[in-house]
Amino acid sequence: MLKKLVFSVLAVLASASLLAAAFRKEDIKVAKLDNGLKILIYEDHAIPNVALYTFFHVGSRNERTGITGVSHFIEHMMFNGSGKFGPGEFDRRMEFAGGSNNAFTGDDMTGYTDWFPAAALEPMMAMEADRLQGLLFDPKVLESERGVVASERRMSVENNNDAILGENVRATAIMAHPYHWDVIGWMSDIQSWKRDDILAYYKTYYAPNNAVLILVGDVERAKALDLIKKYYGGIPAGPPPPPVTTVEPPQQGPKQVLVRKEAQAPSFTIVFHAPACTSPDYRPLSILESALFNGESSRLYKRLVRNEQLAIGVGGGMAETIDPQLFTIDVRPRPGADLAKIEAAVDDELAKVKADGITEKEFQKALNEVRTAFYGELQTIAGKAGQLGHYEIYYGGFEKLFTVMDDYAAIKLPQVKDAARRIFTENNKTVGRLIPEGGSK
Amino acid sequence: MKTVKMRARILAVVVALLASSLAARAAFKLPAPEKIVLKNGLTVYYMKSADLPLVTFQMSLRGAGTAAEPAEVEGVAGMTAALLTKGTARLGADALAEAVDVMGALLMFSSAEEYASASAQSLAEHFPKLMEIAADCLISPSFADEEFAKERKTRLDGLKAMKDNPGAAVRAYFRKAYFGAHPFGRLASGTETSLAKMTAADVRAFFKKTYHPANAVAAVVGGIDKAKLVPLLEATIGRWSPGGAAPTAPAVPPLPKPAGRKLVLIDKPDATQAYWVLGAPGYKQGDPISGPAQVMNTLFGGRFTSWLSTELRIKRGWTYGANSGLQSWGTGGLFTASSYTKNDTIGEMLKLTFELLKKARSAGFAPEEVESARNYILGQFPPTIETIASKAATYVRLAFYGLGFDFLDGYLAKVQSATPAEAKDVAVKLIPDADFVLVVVGKASEIKTQLDKLGTWTVKKITDPDF
Repeated sequence: MLKKLVFSVLAVLASASLLAAAFRKEDIKVAKLDNGLKILIYEDHAIPNVALYTFFHVGSRNERTGITGVSHFIEHMMFNGSGKFGPGEFDRRMEFAGGSNNAFTGDDMTGYTDWFPAAALEPMMAMEADRLQGLLFDPKVLESERGVVASERRMSVENNNDAILGENVRATAIMAHPYHWDVIGWMSDIQSWKRDDILAYYKTYYAPNNAVLILVGDVERAKALDLIKKYYGGIPAGPPPPPVTTVEPPQQGPKQVLVRKEAQAPSFTIVFHAPACTSPDYRPLSILESALFNGESSRLYKRLVRNEQLAIGVGGGMAETIDPQLFTIDVRPRPGADLAKIEAAVDDELAKVKADGITEKEFQKALNEVRTAFYGELQTIAGKAGQLGHYEIYYGGFEKLFTVMDDYAAIKLPQVKDAARRIFTENNKTVGRLIPEGGSK
Repeated sequence: MKTVKMRARILAVVVALLASSLAARAAFKLPAPEKIVLKNGLTVYYMKSADLPLVTFQMSLRGAGTAAEPAEVEGVAGMTAALLTKGTARLGADALAEAVDVMGALLMFSSAEEYASASAQSLAEHFPKLMEIAADCLISPSFADEEFAKERKTRLDGLKAMKDNPGAAVRAYFRKAYFGAHPFGRLASGTETSLAKMTAADVRAFFKKTYHPANAVAAVVGGIDKAKLVPLLEATIGRWSPGGAAPTAPAVPPLPKPAGRKLVLIDKPDATQAYWVLGAPGYKQGDPISGPAQVMNTLFGGRFTSWLSTELRIKRGWTYGANSGLQSWGTGGLFTASSYTKNDTIGEMLKLTFELLKKARSAGFAPEEVESARNYILGQFPPTIETIASKAATYVRLAFYGLGFDFLDGYLAKVQSATPAEAKDVAVKLIPDADFVLVVVGKASEIKTQLDKLGTWTVKKITDPDF
C-alpha cells in the first residue's frame, strides 16, 4: 500500500506543475490609460461570469483627527448616487442584471468588488466609471447612511468585547501614525463628519491615477479594453494625493491597557510594533505566525488551549500594511482564567523562538500553507481578481503574486529567529486586558 | 438631458444582453459526477477538476447528527465529531494535529441536525496521506477520557463567551424558543447542563451506534485521476468497515408549527443594540416550491435591495444588516428574518417589519421586481459551484436528500419561469401572519416598553444558565 501511495504522489506532482501553468503572469493583459488608471485583465471562461474589481490607494491611513472613518464612509456612499445614476440605482440596476457586489475598506486601501454575468459588463462599467468621478453626497441620504455606519460600529466594536479591547490597544500602542484609529473611526467623528470635508476627501483620493481596475472572467481582452477606454478614458487625472509622512516613533517602554466592562469572559491581547509588508522581515515573521497560531499543533494553541487550558482559543499575526503596524497575539481566556499566567506563557513561548527559532518542519508547514492558500484563491474568478489587486496595492505590482511561493521558499530558517529578536522586546510591547465587571464570573 | 439619454441606452444594453446571457446560463450546469461504490458500501461521487493541484473530500453521515442524540445528552453528536480528530490507535491527538497541519491541510468533522460531516482538503500531493489520517479517525478513534475532559471544558467556556456576543447568542436562543423539545432544538455545542452530565462513554456509545459507511455519502473533487483515486479510497476510507447492519437513522418528527406569537426577550444589560430573529415554517429539501420561494425571499430579505434591507437600512439607517433566509431539511424548513438596531429604535423597527410581512402577503411583488429576482438568482448561480469544496458539498447534499444531480437544472428552470402570482402564493404560504416565534436579545430596561406593544414576553437573563 505504501508503495502505491508513493507512486501516486509522484504522478500527482508531475501533473501539478502542468496544471499550475493555467494562470500565468504572461496571460495578464496590462494597460494604463493616459489619466493614470492601471488595468489588469485576465480571460477566464470557466463560468459565464465576470469579476470587476476596483481598488483605490486610500484607507484610514490617509485620514486625520476629526474625520476618522471617512474612508469607510465614502465606501458606503459609493452606492448612494453619482452623476448619471441616482441613489440606490447602482444596486438596483446591478441586481436586475444578475450581479451582486460588495466593498471593503482597510487601513491602506478601499476595494469595490462586482460579480455579474458576462452580458452585464458594459452597464457595470458605465456605473463604476460614473461613481469614480461624480458622487452626489445627497444630504438626506448622507444622514441616513451615517446611521448605518453608526450601527455598524455598535455591532462590530461596542457590542464585541474583543474589538473594544483591540481598539484600545491599537490606540495605545500606536501613538502618532494614523493607524492609531480603527478603520471604522471614532463614534464622535462618525456623528460629526461634514459634507464638505467628505467631498474634499473623495475628490483627493477617487481619481483614475489613484486606482487599479481588475477584470477577470468571461470577457474578451480587446473588447473589454475598448469598453474601459470608452467609459474611463474621459475622466481627468487628479493631482497626486499627499503622501502620509507621519512616522511612528519607537516605543520606549512597555505599555498596559485595562478595560473594565460587563462581560462573561475576559479578553486579552499583546501587540508588538512590527515592520511594513515590504520589509525583509515581513515574510519571516509571517512564517512565524504559522508556527505560533495555525492549527491545533501550533505553539500557542497547544500551550494555552490544550496543555495549560488557560484559553478557549488563540489567534493573531502580522498586519499586512504599507507602513509599519503591529504583530498581534489575541487570546480568548477561559472565564475566570489568570491573565498573568497567560501573559507569562506567551512570553515564554516568544523567548523560545528568540533563542532557538522555529523547526524545519514548522517552516515546511508554513510553505505548504502558502501554496494551499495560493491555489485556493485561484479557484475562483473573484479570488484571482482579489489576489492581482492585492499585490498591485501592497507590493507595487501584480507580478509579485507569481513569485510568492518562490519568495517564501527562499527564506533561510535563521531569518525567522533574527526577525523575532528584533520585534519581541519588552520596550516594544503593549498588553491589553478586558476584565469582567458585573455579569457572572 | 444627457443623463436621460445615457440611462436609456444602458437599459437597452441590459435588455439586449440579458437575452443572450440567459441562453449562456442555460448551458451552465452542475456537471454530473461519476459514482464509485467502495467495497465497504460507501458511495463516493467523483469529479475531476484539473485546473489546480488541490483535492477535496466531503462526506455526510445520515443519522449521526443532533437529531439522533438521546435527549439527555444534548451535544453528544458535536462532541463525537470533534473528538474524532483527537487521537486514533496510530496517532495521539498532538501527532494527528501536527500531521495534518504540516501539510497545510484541512481535516474537520462536525455535526448538523440530520447528519455528521467530514471535510478534508489538501494539495493533491498530500491527499493520500490526508485520506489515510481521515480513515484512521473513523476506523480507530481513541475517544480518550482526557481528550473528552478537555473538549468539554472548552465547550463549557465557549458557551459563556458566546453570550458576550449578542449576534451569535440570539441564534442559539432562537433555536431553543422555536424548536423547544423537538430534536432540532438541540445545540450542536451542547448546553451547560447537558455538558455537565455527559461522559466519554456517551460519546463512544453514540459513535458505535450511529457511524456506518453504508449510511454515508461522499464526494471527491479536484486534481486527481480516477485510476489513482479508487485504489487510494479502497486503501484508506474503504477499510472502514465496522461490521453489522447499517443502523436505521431515527425518523425526525414533523417540525413544530408555532401557534400564535411566541415572544422571548433575553435581557443583556450592557447591550447598546437589540438583536432579533423571527421565524416560521418553511419547506423541505427538494420541495418544488423552492424556485418561486427563493424568488420571494430574494425580494423580501435575500439581497441588498430587498424590502427589509431597503426599508430598515437604506432608507432609515437603522441597521447595518437586515435579512431573511430559508433553511430546509428532509422533513421541513424554516423561514427567518433578522436584524439589529440601537436600543431606542427597536420598537419602530419591529413595527415596520410586521408591516412589510403583511404587505408581502397581501400585495405581493411587482412584475419588474420578480424579473429582477429571477435574473439575480440565475446570474449568481455559477459562482456557487466554482470551488472544488462547493462542488463536492453540492454533490453530497443532492445525493443525501436523493434529489438527483439534475435537480438544480429543474430548480433554475422554475426560477426562470417564476411569475408574480407564484411569488405572492409562496409569500402567503411562507411569510407568517399570526403564528411565529420572535426572540430579542437586548437591554430590557431600555427596550421592554417598546416591545410590550407586541404582546406578552417571556423574559430571561443572559446570565441564566443554558438557553
